[in-house]
Amino acid sequence: MVEIKTAEGEKDRNISILKTGVLSPLKRWGVKWSLWPCHFVTSCCGVELAHAFACGFDGERLGTLNMGISRQANFIIVEGTITRKMARALRIVWEQMPDPKFVEVIGACGERGGLFWNSYNITRPSDIVPVDFFVPGCPVTPEGLLRGVRAVQHKIEGLDRTTIKFKRVKLPSEPEPGQGKENMVPSSPKVFAPTPAIKVDIRRDVEWAFGAELVKRLESELEGLYERITITDINRIAIKTLPEHLTELAGRLKSGLGVDHVKNVNVIEVPHERKYIVEYMVSGYREDLKPVIINIFTEVGRKPDGEPEQEVPSIARLWASADYSEREMHDFFGIRFAGNEWMGRNFILAPELHTPLRKDFKLDEERYVLEGETPYAPSIKPPTELELPLPPGLLEDAEANEELVALVGPHHTGSGHLRWILRMKGDIIVDVIPDPGYVHRTMEKLAENRLYIQNIPLFERANISDPINMHLGYVRTIEKALGIEVPERASYIRTIMAELSRIGAFFYDSGIFSLFLGHSTGFMYVWAIREMILEAMVRATGSRCTPSFIIPGGIRRDISREVLELIDNFTSAIHRRLRKFEDIFIYNPVFVARAKDVGVLTKEEAIRCGIVGPFLRASGVEYDVRKVEPYEVYDDLDWDITTGDAGDCLGRYMGRYEEIKESLRIVKQAVDTLKSLPRGEIISKELLGEYKAASEDIKGHLFHVYGNLVLPRGEWTTVTEAARGTLLYSIVSDGESNVPYRVRIITPSWLNLRGIVEATKGERVADFWAIYGSFGYFPPEADR
Amino acid sequence: MEEVINALMAAIMSNQVNIPLLQPLFRLMVQIPGAGFMVSFILWKPFFAALISPGFATLGILLLFFPWVERKLCGRIQWRVGPHEIVWWLGGIIQLLADSLRFLFQEVIVHKDAQRPYFLQFPFLTFIPTLLPLLFIPAGSIVAIQTPYAIQIILALVCLFPLFIIGLGWASNSRFAFIGTVREAFMYFAYEVAFIVAVLAMVILYGTSDLVEIGAHQAGWVWGICINPVAAVVFFIGAAMATARLPFEIADAEQELAAGPHVEYSGIGFGLIYVICYEKAYILSGLMTVLFLGGGSGPQIGVLGELSGLIWFLLKTFIVMVTLFVLRVLYPRYRLDQALNIGWSSLLSLSLFALALSIAITAVAGAGAVAGAVGGGIV
Repeated sequence: MVEIKTAEGEKDRNISILKTGVLSPLKRWGVKWSLWPCHFVTSCCGVELAHAFACGFDGERLGTLNMGISRQANFIIVEGTITRKMARALRIVWEQMPDPKFVEVIGACGERGGLFWNSYNITRPSDIVPVDFFVPGCPVTPEGLLRGVRAVQHKIEGLDRTTIKFKRVKLPSEPEPGQGKENMVPSSPKVFAPTPAIKVDIRRDVEWAFGAELVKRLESELEGLYERITITDINRIAIKTLPEHLTELAGRLKSGLGVDHVKNVNVIEVPHERKYIVEYMVSGYREDLKPVIINIFTEVGRKPDGEPEQEVPSIARLWASADYSEREMHDFFGIRFAGNEWMGRNFILAPELHTPLRKDFKLDEERYVLEGETPYAPSIKPPTELELPLPPGLLEDAEANEELVALVGPHHTGSGHLRWILRMKGDIIVDVIPDPGYVHRTMEKLAENRLYIQNIPLFERANISDPINMHLGYVRTIEKALGIEVPERASYIRTIMAELSRIGAFFYDSGIFSLFLGHSTGFMYVWAIREMILEAMVRATGSRCTPSFIIPGGIRRDISREVLELIDNFTSAIHRRLRKFEDIFIYNPVFVARAKDVGVLTKEEAIRCGIVGPFLRASGVEYDVRKVEPYEVYDDLDWDITTGDAGDCLGRYMGRYEEIKESLRIVKQAVDTLKSLPRGEIISKELLGEYKAASEDIKGHLFHVYGNLVLPRGEWTTVTEAARGTLLYSIVSDGESNVPYRVRIITPSWLNLRGIVEATKGERVADFWAIYGSFGYFPPEADR
Repeated sequence: MEEVINALMAAIMSNQVNIPLLQPLFRLMVQIPGAGFMVSFILWKPFFAALISPGFATLGILLLFFPWVERKLCGRIQWRVGPHEIVWWLGGIIQLLADSLRFLFQEVIVHKDAQRPYFLQFPFLTFIPTLLPLLFIPAGSIVAIQTPYAIQIILALVCLFPLFIIGLGWASNSRFAFIGTVREAFMYFAYEVAFIVAVLAMVILYGTSDLVEIGAHQAGWVWGICINPVAAVVFFIGAAMATARLPFEIADAEQELAAGPHVEYSGIGFGLIYVICYEKAYILSGLMTVLFLGGGSGPQIGVLGELSGLIWFLLKTFIVMVTLFVLRVLYPRYRLDQALNIGWSSLLSLSLFALALSIAITAVAGAGAVAGAVGGGIV
């Protein structure tokens, strides 16, 4: 057991190493121009790090060459949030690096938590390792990052910072009562209902003929197993059952109705009613079932100390896609799923955390108390030891079977932000065990403590390579609950932005994919194209990766004609550059040899392990939320679903490639239509109340309009087609509070995780990276 | 005593690098006591070849600037600029100086699990097979050791490369190093046979394995690559595999194995390993130049005398090296089994075809006659 401690003398030790000896000037000059960052991507700022070292900004100009291995690097760029799990890895990597070594922390999260300041799972990098320079921003821009590199160079050289004078402040934590200056609360105060009335199956009378038929069928099929079946909305059915009937009910749904996958496993704690509600949202890829989500829920008693009174039977044996979500719910609430083998240890949480999503686990509240001019910061204790346990018995078992166990990640050039435990026999992978949670930033808990409107920027941080779709899903859920229609103009702009975001995410994934296969040129080319998407994003919304552009009822601001022209030009420019990318990467014989017939998932397997989006379509399932349950203006535009039947890495990749060509078509059509639409309303007037004038420009009225948004009572679930697949938001509201009671987010990467694991088994070791890359797995999105 | 010195002097004087341009200067220097001996010693062919060019000094300069060339060129292909800021008015040309200084002054970590003595020795031992071949590679007529067994000796040393890499990986005692080491061993078998057969094909064609003679055979424009292009292709692919260039950078795949056998090396230890990969490429490119690209042949620049051949040799070697290194930006990485498959099927059959081609040509035209006759005819 090794303890994490930052010693007092650590801070300037590395500089003083360089300052000693007669050769000091040489040492300093050499290190200054040879800062090799070790490839340690800790959070979503990594996207901007990649931009900083891709051809747009080219960090190599400064002599900084990204090196994957800690032993050979002398510089860590800590990218944003350091979670409790990642803190251990950060310390280990730092310890592994040879002296003299330097640390630059980028992103607001790395300083004081940024948007996640009161999360239960973050730490401050400065508590873990001595930091040489902070770069603020959420996320930082590549220019900012490179400026940070420059600053470290200056520091090594011994130059004073001449451009900016930094003020030294001591961050106070936990002010004494009565101390400090109380400031005004800048936004609406939060209202928490004392005894919220939680009901997830509120009956609604909707015109849905198939629904009535389906309910009849369910009633006869599930005779005696259910308590009540309710239609809660169009395409939404809730079935209440007892825990002991759950397995049989699920079995009958599977065999009788053809329900074949689980979209979501959710737990809602209602402490004052002494119960947990456990939900399974299931659906089928049969043609008529596609848009339907059946919510099977059951209630479990809650003891006064918060422990559940009984176990819930696991349905992971019927639908493997439920497995990881069940483990997650076990982490969050301590509910035990009988039959799921993982129970008893944490899956995505750090080992020292237990049941943080229970209501009696309180987070720090926002307090506007100033000490001098500095707001107080919540005190965060870093983890005390470096150990991260392996599954028990793994090593012994592997040794008995003459297998080699290798830990890939979280610090590994080809791991992303999670740890993969590979079990290999020779060159064949026997099993791969994912260890996610290194970027778990506790969005579901944080969302319960923030206003509905404040959650928009929070959720888009889940995936800053596909930000628009991330918050579009959330906003659509709110709009669905409130029953708001979005003005046509706003709807078109939303579609354009969502598709641009999808294209950007594809380029992100292709870049990573080509890097995983050792092809840096492919990475550079697509990253250059991605710069165009980001430029369009900046022009339209003002931000490269975190626009928070879509708000309930419409969009934050209108797009001018010039920007539309620009986007239009970009769509054709992208086509031209893509041809070069095709030549160098897609039609490269080595790439084809690496990707073809590797990691094959047949249609049945793909459905069983619950993968979604373009990866599911590549296995032959024609399911795209944009067609199945059309939203925005997708219905009015002319585009096709791309499906394949190979189900291998090449198929998954080419499927997405064809898909973004369709996306470019959508953008083109939407831009053309938008040009002919008159400027006008971009936010629905239904929502604005007395601020009707804000419908064309919300500036100055945002909190007046949205501060006290309250959703009607009940559970609201929407699915959205994000870049990597189906994105599900489920908001539970009590109808009184202006914060959500519970928000459940199921991101496509989280669902695809199972697919990666299944596709990898039995393949060769090097294929793991081909499969991993082809799935476009984005860990911050999966960990939320 | 004096006789011995005189005999030595005579031996040295009889084997001088002939540079007409600098002759007046040398004549002047010979009159200065001591300096004359120094000059003639430096110009003594074996010394000149081993320590100045194409030997250590050239290699040193190359190591200092070649990675920069590579990074700049790759940068250009990848739509960016590469190292630039360090001396911006020279395009960052001394980037490698900074890198090597940094490596030199960095802590060398020997982790607890390493086999300490071997871990520290192997980076240095690796220099044996990578530097010794330099003694046998002729640049035009400048060579340190001329022997009829030059090719055999170089091949023997080249085949030792993987041994030391395996040693590095084994001494590191880490999982990724272990996997990388095993991959290196496999890769060795993938290229070795085909590579040797390709060289053999050329030896049969030229009828000798003395590299100086082989270079002389190609004095005209009929180079080995024109007579037996198949062998050249096999040799080039084999060289890419031996120097672990993409698409065959399989043993130290950074994205998969975090640099495989080199994963635990830090500071100057890694600096040496980093350098060795360029040395290997230099030697194999030099061998390729002599075997296939006419060695030092090219338009003679009269005033430079034997240096002319040297310059042509270095230029060609440089081009081959650049080609080897630019593969990095053009190709992703093959899987181990695919590379083995290529090595044992396509590459081996190609090499056998090259061998048959050589035998056929020789049978028709007579041993050693081909290149010499045709080349001589043109000259």
